[in-house]
Amino acid sequence: MKKNIITILVTTLLVTASCTNMEEELYDKVQDDDFGTTPKEVEALVGGAYSSLRGFSDEISNSFPTCEYVFFLNEVASDEATIPTRGQDWYDGGRYQQTQRHTWDAENGMILSAWRYCYTGISKVNSIIYQIDQSGLSEDDKKPIYAELKAIRAYYYYRLLDMFGNVPIITDFKNQELPANSTRKEVYDFVESELLNALPYLRSEIVYSKFTKNVAYTLLARLYLNSEAFVGIARWQDCIAMCQQVSGYSINPDFFANFATENQGSNELIFAIPYDSDAGTVGNYLSSMTYHYLHQFTVSVTGDYPWCGNGICAQPGAYSKFLDTDKRKASMLEGEQINLATGSVLIMDSGEPLIYTEAIEDFTNAKQNEGVRLSKYEVKEGEKWERDHDWVVMRYAEVLMMQAECYVRMGSPELARPFLDQIAQRAGTETPDVIDLDYINDELLREFAFEGRRRTDNIRFGTFFEPWWEKESTPKYRGIFPIPQSELDKNKNLKQNPEY
Amino acid sequence: MNTKNINYKLPKLASFKALVLIGLLLISIVSARAQDKKTILGTIFDSDGQPLAGATVMEKGTSNGTTADFDGNYSIEVTNGSTLEISFIGFVTKPIVINNTTASPLNVTLEADMVSLDAVELVAVGYGTMRKSDLTGAISTVNSEELVKGTLSSTEQALQGKVAGLTVVQGTGDPSSGATMRLRGGTSLTASNNPLIVIDGIPGVDINQVQPNDIASVDVLKDASATAIYGSRGANGVIIITTKSKAAGFSVSYSGISGISFASNHLDMLSANQWRSYVRGNETVGAIDYGADTDWQKELERAAYRRSHTLSMSAGGENSGMRSSITYFDNEGIVKTTGLQRLSGNINVHQFTLDKKIRFDVGLFATIDKWHPLDYRIFERAFNLNPTIPVYDENGNFTEVGGTLYENPVEILTHRTTDDKRNRLLGYFKTEFNFTPALKGVVNLSLENNAHTGNTYKPSTAVLEGRTEGGYAQKVYDEYTNMQLEAYLSYTKEFGKHMLNAMGGYSYLENTYEGFGAQRSGFETDLFEYNNLGAGQDYRLGDVYSYKGKSNLVSFYARANYSYDSRYMVTATVREDGSSRFGDNNKWGFFPSASVAWNIANEEFMDGTNNWLNQLKLRGGYGVTGNQDGIGEYKSLSILGVGQDSYYDPATDSWKLAYSPTQNPNPDLKWESTEQFNVGLDFGLFGRITGSLEWYSKTTKDLLYTYQVPQPPYLVGTMLANVGELSNKGIELTLNANIINNDKFKWDANLNLSSNEQKIEKLSNQVYETDVIYSGSLHGLSGMSNQFSQIIKEGYPVGTFWGYESSGLDENGAFILSEEKTDIGDIQPSLNVGIGMNFTYDSFDFSFSGYGMFGQDVLNATNMMLYDPNRLPAYNVPDDFLDSGITSDPTYSSYWVEDASFFRLQNVTFGYTVPMDKVFSKLRLYLMGENLAVFTGYNGVDPEVDMTGLADPGLDRFNNYPRPTTVSFGLNITLKN
Repeated sequence: MKKNIITILVTTLLVTASCTNMEEELYDKVQDDDFGTTPKEVEALVGGAYSSLRGFSDEISNSFPTCEYVFFLNEVASDEATIPTRGQDWYDGGRYQQTQRHTWDAENGMILSAWRYCYTGISKVNSIIYQIDQSGLSEDDKKPIYAELKAIRAYYYYRLLDMFGNVPIITDFKNQELPANSTRKEVYDFVESELLNALPYLRSEIVYSKFTKNVAYTLLARLYLNSEAFVGIARWQDCIAMCQQVSGYSINPDFFANFATENQGSNELIFAIPYDSDAGTVGNYLSSMTYHYLHQFTVSVTGDYPWCGNGICAQPGAYSKFLDTDKRKASMLEGEQINLATGSVLIMDSGEPLIYTEAIEDFTNAKQNEGVRLSKYEVKEGEKWERDHDWVVMRYAEVLMMQAECYVRMGSPELARPFLDQIAQRAGTETPDVIDLDYINDELLREFAFEGRRRTDNIRFGTFFEPWWEKESTPKYRGIFPIPQSELDKNKNLKQNPEY
Repeated sequence: MNTKNINYKLPKLASFKALVLIGLLLISIVSARAQDKKTILGTIFDSDGQPLAGATVMEKGTSNGTTADFDGNYSIEVTNGSTLEISFIGFVTKPIVINNTTASPLNVTLEADMVSLDAVELVAVGYGTMRKSDLTGAISTVNSEELVKGTLSSTEQALQGKVAGLTVVQGTGDPSSGATMRLRGGTSLTASNNPLIVIDGIPGVDINQVQPNDIASVDVLKDASATAIYGSRGANGVIIITTKSKAAGFSVSYSGISGISFASNHLDMLSANQWRSYVRGNETVGAIDYGADTDWQKELERAAYRRSHTLSMSAGGENSGMRSSITYFDNEGIVKTTGLQRLSGNINVHQFTLDKKIRFDVGLFATIDKWHPLDYRIFERAFNLNPTIPVYDENGNFTEVGGTLYENPVEILTHRTTDDKRNRLLGYFKTEFNFTPALKGVVNLSLENNAHTGNTYKPSTAVLEGRTEGGYAQKVYDEYTNMQLEAYLSYTKEFGKHMLNAMGGYSYLENTYEGFGAQRSGFETDLFEYNNLGAGQDYRLGDVYSYKGKSNLVSFYARANYSYDSRYMVTATVREDGSSRFGDNNKWGFFPSASVAWNIANEEFMDGTNNWLNQLKLRGGYGVTGNQDGIGEYKSLSILGVGQDSYYDPATDSWKLAYSPTQNPNPDLKWESTEQFNVGLDFGLFGRITGSLEWYSKTTKDLLYTYQVPQPPYLVGTMLANVGELSNKGIELTLNANIINNDKFKWDANLNLSSNEQKIEKLSNQVYETDVIYSGSLHGLSGMSNQFSQIIKEGYPVGTFWGYESSGLDENGAFILSEEKTDIGDIQPSLNVGIGMNFTYDSFDFSFSGYGMFGQDVLNATNMMLYDPNRLPAYNVPDDFLDSGITSDPTYSSYWVEDASFFRLQNVTFGYTVPMDKVFSKLRLYLMGENLAVFTGYNGVDPEVDMTGLADPGLDRFNNYPRPTTVSFGLNITLKN
């Protein structure tokens, strides 16, 4: 017995002596230094840069490019969409009312959402570049990977340039100093040089959903098209030159094929963010943000369609821009909504029929049925909350329209006609005898309604600063958003945009 | 809190007990004369029916006496007409006159003496016990008979209202929802703030491992000088639970309780007829009368049955003892399908060997819980639905009326299957070596395992989710295991008036957690429910997952306490903790404490007051403790994770997984450290009243919080870091009074009061600057997306409501609001009260207890959303809305922040003990009412709202599971040989 006790004691002491190791043992995660050594691992890292484009949702913001709130911010600030307050619904602290009226302040959560979409993506790309630095790849192998990553990063900086202007440029993942603003011109130059430097190493062929040469050309064309608005330097000719580099795409005869659930086959798409709910992608639920609460019964006899929140709709005036013969008019849903089970018009809680109308009588207390709805993307019975269609970022129609606009702006409207004809022909309309900027402006709305880019067009055409529905005139400084207050609070080196 | 019943504690120190026995034997001198003598036999019990080994039996005025043996038996020869005095330390001496009619055996029951008990009562202090009279720290003790009784669903509830400074809140009436505890205000923004639970010496275990019926005593260590011995886990206090064990005799007991409960309150919504008359009277357009008369709240409820049975057995002799028990309870919830069923068993055994030089203790606790988790969305739906809608349509199917938040709650409640199960296991093997009477060594090996399984099935007919998913099945499993080794040496020696106790030890804890889950949807049939996930044909990335992690904690600790002449005491402790969770730059934390006490009543100059002032002790202490719960594993590292982050690969037309960094690494991460001062005064008056008064002040530094960091440069927007500072100050008063104590009638009362004031001192340091943190999210309430009701801000307590001040309604029924948002209340109570009284008259007993919280505010978000002029006719409203005159849309303001002060009559019991000596040593029947009344001015369903956590403390927002009122009948039987 005594022997046993001694054994226990000795064992105890031995165990004691050996049990002071405090390293963390990892099981379901890897430390960054341990990853990125094999080609497969490198591929999995670069994949993260693309997945970042879908945005994210965390405790601070919903930062989805497809709806909440990067898309909402840009759309509501433009002349094609609005989010009216319906009773108590969609008030949310007044963030949509502010945006519609161009009276946003730096505390508007949608602005923070957009800022964080870009910088989270940028930091992620920077961290992947750091991982590639550490990897055992040869310098030659690294070059195309760096080019692709930096081009994606340039896309984020392009969006910052467009929305915020004077933003910090950070490229080093390990540098955690609090950065200061660069000027809008510096950001502009950075985007241009990054894309130009990446171009030689980017892939020339069409690779769906990847950052290829064609994508870089299109983005550069966008940069030059808006150059005057961004930094006061008109570069219409440069824009045309870049458009001319884009090759291998064509206008899809079926306009809505670009927005079908299986839209990845359309040869018009230059750059899209792929979604597949089975692959766990999140954030792609715009349809549920626009339709009425009862809309499910217009899609399915049994109501087999996700819940809809009755929010964003077209700004009054946008729907009337379409001719009845214009096929693109179906981008907006108007009129009586039929219950498939009964064949009669759906009745709302108020007892009134559900008829989507263009007019919105009272912006701050709109009726449930007011406002025509965003219906560009396909809607299918049995869909899940997370939709499967890919999110269109750039398509060939834009390359045509950019050239047309540049020719009109350079005083040669007739050179624009062949491009405009292609667009009109598909839509079932005709290019007018006189081509002017007003026509271009309206045609851009009709062609690209609810593709998240109208605010930039409004600014370029100057209409942004003029009064429109539920908005007075807008001072020039509001052509960019304020830097979010919460970021200024945390980083004293950061300065607010002028006049905010 | 310190009353009777020391017998549970004595076996813990068997050597001490042996000493007492020997001492008493020496003291008692047997002298008897042989004339007119009579031999009296019998057994001496305490009021619980446990034998009192070592009790003294003396013939008054003589030196004739004896001592009860290990089983409490005695035998004495006495003269007729003399008086026997039966006494024992800590008990009131009982005189019995012996005459010809005196029966033998003469069994005697002694009542505990509240005041003198302190001298010998042992209090668990962590890694050992101390005499209560020697304590220098703030420790409250609750004995088994003082615990809350009734149809409890969690062990925490047994302490509700019993300890000054300890707040126990069960946020809802759902039996499976568990309760949270908070001592002296809580110290963390991130961690749970639950005190560290120590069961039979094993720290960090789940309190529900032990059932209330198995608890002998609970020692609550409140100040830092008492808890510093638990180092980085001691900041929120320590609750040491000692379970019942057994040294001598044999007994079997049963206790059972069976009752029925019903909802104690509802919100008064318009009935169908009220709705109709409103609609007619106002000629409301679009009102649809569906013809029925449905009270949607009541449709969700039932009369719920609660039953509980406990069977326990104990046996033991001089060298060994065992106790085991089995408890089964089935507490149905008043909302249909809810409830908690628990089966629990435990056994502990001890054995001495080698002349009591070595003692082995083996203990095993096991519980199985089963419940059906509730979809809390039903409560909001029940308030929304038009009361004229029938639950079922003419075909017997659930009525469906389209519209947002308009789903039939009865359908949600009954149309899906949720089955959850939790298994808990705790086992230990403890060896005590008594090397010499002074030197003792203890080695304790323990293992705790806690495993949870969750199953869900939403059939393809279920409106919420199930239908769009085509049937949805899910199974999840998670478990954790704590393996612990504790080894320490202790040395106790008295030299004349000096008493020294010193100990030092080492402990090693390894925590492993792991889990997996799987889900599928797209089922062709609903027949499988969650039992055949493979039959679901819709597979998505993220449908299966698993995880595993591990952490360890290494500690060295020591304590010394010295007392001189039972007048002056000093205690000092140190602990050093190293944790794998801490960042590379802060691997070891150091936690010291020191405290002193002065037993004024033992001073000579106090002799004159001894007749009324029996006890007076002044204590003071300071210590540093930590909290490392908020860190979690791997938070200091730069880690790549793989999860929902997939990307499309056009080359293979497939989706692949991306690996990305998931967090900002923080190599400086460490524990939160809390410094605490405590001053206490213990007193005893007139031999009938005891009490203590405590004052404390604590400051928590290096507050862990997931701070928002600037982007750029940081990768993600938040980062766990040690930044802020939080303070709590308060006072506590505990009073126990033995108001009347005679043979027939007894009246005991106890009262505890506590008051705490909390303040955020700092939220920034050189690196992180935070002006304000928004909390109390209103997200999910219509029109309140991304709105917050509370702030965390320097100078304010946690849970401060920040919004517009409302001075009522203007003539149009619109809210009159202040220009600026301001402080409009907070969730911190200014006073907590616990009160109890026990009356015994002959064989009858009557007792009641209650608790209350005063001064705290609650945001009645339920009413805020229901008092909405847009709701009628489609959505229902409360009766009072029609008279309220409100015409504005729901707006968050002080209008809806209500004073939620309340006092709850927790328990009322009326019992009868059947007098019998033979077969049963005890048989008691009782009737009990729980939650019979709540006194409050609060307008919601119940003022007691969950106050813990940061997400939504003090928010009443459609999570209104009503608390039950329960009436039950109970029976306790004890059988002994």
